[in-house]
Amino acid sequence: MFAALLAAVALQQIDSLPAHRAPRTVVVDERLAADAGVKLGDQLIVSRTPGGAGDTVVVSAFMRRRADPSEVARAEYRVRMHLGELQSLIDYGDRMDRFALLSHPEQREGSALPSLTDSAIRRINGAAFGFQAHRSRDIAVETSQTFLVVSRFHRAIGVITIVASAIFLLCIMLLKVDERRRDVAALRLMGISAQSITRSVMVEASVVAVVGSVVGLLIGWIATLIINWHYRGVYRTPLAFALVTPQIAFFAMTLSLVLGLLAGYVAARRLVSMPPLELLTGRRDDRPSVAAAH
Amino acid sequence: MSDAPVVLTRDVRRDYHMGDEIVHAVRGVSLEVARGDYVAIVGPSGCGKSTLLNLIGGIDRPTAGSVTVDGNRVDAMRDAAATRFRLLSIGFVFQRFYLMPALTAAENVELPMAEAGLSTARRMERARDLLAYVGLADRRKHRPAQLSGGEQQRVAIARALANSPKLLLADEPTGELDAKTGAEMIDLLGRVNRDGTTVVVVTHDEDLARAARRVVHMRDGHVVDDHRQNGR
Amino acid sequence: MLFRLAWATLARHRARTLLAMLGVAVSAAMLLDMVMLSSGMRSSFKNLLLARGFQIRLAPKGTLPLDTDATIGNAAEIASALRAMPDVAAVSPVLGGQLHVPRDGRTVTATALGGDAQWQGDYEITDGREPRAPDEIATSDDFLRAANLRVGDTLSAAAGYDPQLRAFSGMRRLRIVGRAHFLYMAAEQRAVALPLATLQAMQGEAARDRVSFFMVRARQGASVDSVLRRIELAVPKVSAISTESAIRQVDQRLSYFRQLAFILGTVSLAVGFLLVTTLVTVSVNERLGEIVVMRAIGVARGRVVSQIVLEGTAIMLAGAVAGLGLGLLTARYLNSILASFPGLPASIDFFLFEPRDAWAALGMLVAAGILAGIYPSWRGASVPIAMTLREEAVG
Repeated sequence: MFAALLAAVALQQIDSLPAHRAPRTVVVDERLAADAGVKLGDQLIVSRTPGGAGDTVVVSAFMRRRADPSEVARAEYRVRMHLGELQSLIDYGDRMDRFALLSHPEQREGSALPSLTDSAIRRINGAAFGFQAHRSRDIAVETSQTFLVVSRFHRAIGVITIVASAIFLLCIMLLKVDERRRDVAALRLMGISAQSITRSVMVEASVVAVVGSVVGLLIGWIATLIINWHYRGVYRTPLAFALVTPQIAFFAMTLSLVLGLLAGYVAARRLVSMPPLELLTGRRDDRPSVAAAH
Repeated sequence: MSDAPVVLTRDVRRDYHMGDEIVHAVRGVSLEVARGDYVAIVGPSGCGKSTLLNLIGGIDRPTAGSVTVDGNRVDAMRDAAATRFRLLSIGFVFQRFYLMPALTAAENVELPMAEAGLSTARRMERARDLLAYVGLADRRKHRPAQLSGGEQQRVAIARALANSPKLLLADEPTGELDAKTGAEMIDLLGRVNRDGTTVVVVTHDEDLARAARRVVHMRDGHVVDDHRQNGR
Repeated sequence: MLFRLAWATLARHRARTLLAMLGVAVSAAMLLDMVMLSSGMRSSFKNLLLARGFQIRLAPKGTLPLDTDATIGNAAEIASALRAMPDVAAVSPVLGGQLHVPRDGRTVTATALGGDAQWQGDYEITDGREPRAPDEIATSDDFLRAANLRVGDTLSAAAGYDPQLRAFSGMRRLRIVGRAHFLYMAAEQRAVALPLATLQAMQGEAARDRVSFFMVRARQGASVDSVLRRIELAVPKVSAISTESAIRQVDQRLSYFRQLAFILGTVSLAVGFLLVTTLVTVSVNERLGEIVVMRAIGVARGRVVSQIVLEGTAIMLAGAVAGLGLGLLTARYLNSILASFPGLPASIDFFLFEPRDAWAALGMLVAAGILAGIYPSWRGASVPIAMTLREEAVG
């Protein structure tokens, strides 16, 4: 029904009304109002086909689109009309596309809700003739398939990014620790144990990881603000495209901490596993080194 | 020996800024080194001898004065020209050898020749000859990590001789070597000089200083004594 | 000697070099995937639209073909008018709908396309032939499997179903004459094709002389834009969409992926750049002594810089080549995810590999590798020789 109407809405501002009938009111999508220059109080003709005969209506309000993912990429407009008027306009008779049922407020609390909704669905489906009742949640899942695909895609990209970051972290840690091989060699020659050195590198790695995680979280949060601002403008929707939830923040911080520590540990162990003289001179064999002895 | 000096410094000075202080490392040194000579510059630590060597070699610029090597004003050269000049006319030997650890002994010797544009065959042959000259014919394919300190220094000398320089500058060449190996190095440097290369060494090593024909004493940036020895 | 020294230096720190190459490979794979994604959808969609050579589509005013239930009336008259235009080579009218086939106590429902077998552009016959007679039908493999039927079988099908009365309308017996691959249908979508007049009759009075859209093929050499403009003037109640404008509309709807591709591609390149620049910086810092000695013995500054830059570029290049293979694998995986978009034609690929994409990615990585090495190597090659030698001796 809506589809037919969307194909058929013809907007026309008129100056006078037929004397025999007062126009009904409609609520117009704010996108449509912006694009077609419709203002509150404007009179429009709505018809089933473009240029066809129709009804005169008055714009009484604008409506904002819901944050519905399934509507995001669709550029269609919407109007809300009185039910009887629309049915008569498109010759629908006494037909509906769907009913939505809302349970009593007191029945929403506690564990009684699921069984009440289920039993209501069972009763309706048992008595129904030619239609079926569904949970709104199930409908939402069905219509969100597109975004489930997008979520899976994002998750795959996320996994690849994490793998790349882990390799990157390990490489950087290895480089930074390697840079100080002479210092480490001197410490080892002085008598500082491998464990102490490893601990010291781990402390350093954890500070870097913590600071890096916090900065990364901040950058991510700012990025979500920018993403939402941008795509809300592009798709003209109040939908939130990116969210940093406490769970996501916790996961990201934990993962980066763990990766940072792991990278630091691997780099440190690699360094302390080498004999101090080898660290100092770069020699792998155990020939006496005159140069090193000095 | 021909008349024109290989090295000629005129009132050369070098000052360094260390924080708020100015350190006068070399204070007005005028020095001539004749072609084919063997000069040892000695003095206590911090007397400016290494700085003077660096100025002669063109790897440092004087604050004042002039430095002429083989008729060329090295202090006035731009970086690219000075680099090229060092490549073809001056050989450097350092206390810490400074060989490329990733290259073999032969490849280290070939490096300056490759830069000078010699063909691969020619520089491989010359590298072989030079390593034989310094007594390391059988160690050509070894990397520095597989060589002793003395062997590394020999490779460094071979590298310094790669492009048949007019002048060999050595900064504490025996500084990291034991007495026996140091003595071998002194012999080698003597041989290099006898074979026609002008040699200037900076050293604390008395044995090395004794092997030279001329000794220049420095103290506090000045030359305080300059004499020939051993009847040369 | 330059290559030899660069190679020898990289080989000296095998673990770090390999790890850096691995990091670059992952970045390169991501970059290649994003380059493929940014152009793949568009190329794939364009190829699909032009699969049968129809460059123009006409849909009810303000809609896209089969986007809504709206239809175009006086279809026969419009088709004649279009065919009469000198630059029009072919016109394919298409009516969309559903067919309900009662089988073994259940109903198998399929998307139905009514068209003219001679001019149709929606399917390719894989077995049998096109449906020409009023009682003939061609179907997809998924439909045959679902309905447990074969080519040659006869079925009863209805165009309408009233759920309240649980009654079919427009029932007819049809003979399956062919199996077809439907170009614009999603994977596993059940689809059937039958003559236009048959589907119109089955849908009843409401569908008389109506179609969902037309596909138009311009003559070779004719300007598609001028044909389009002429059609819009002749038939004002339709929206005429050329392949280019259809692609633009799809681009707009899927602009998210292009933007994502751009952002992720840039991030990948930046990560690869950072990795190499860090590696080169640390490498230079580690062997400052070697570098100044090279300068001291007469190696030109430019040569020193070139050698170090070569190391960074070698890592980038090796990583990029490895990343190419990895990128193709990850692209397949990512494509399989996106291919499960509901309603997406099975022929659409989001990640389409074209050699120019690989070259583009490789070129960007090599350029990044060179740039990554320039600053640290120039810095390293410009330190004062004497002072650095002194510091190295003390250190």
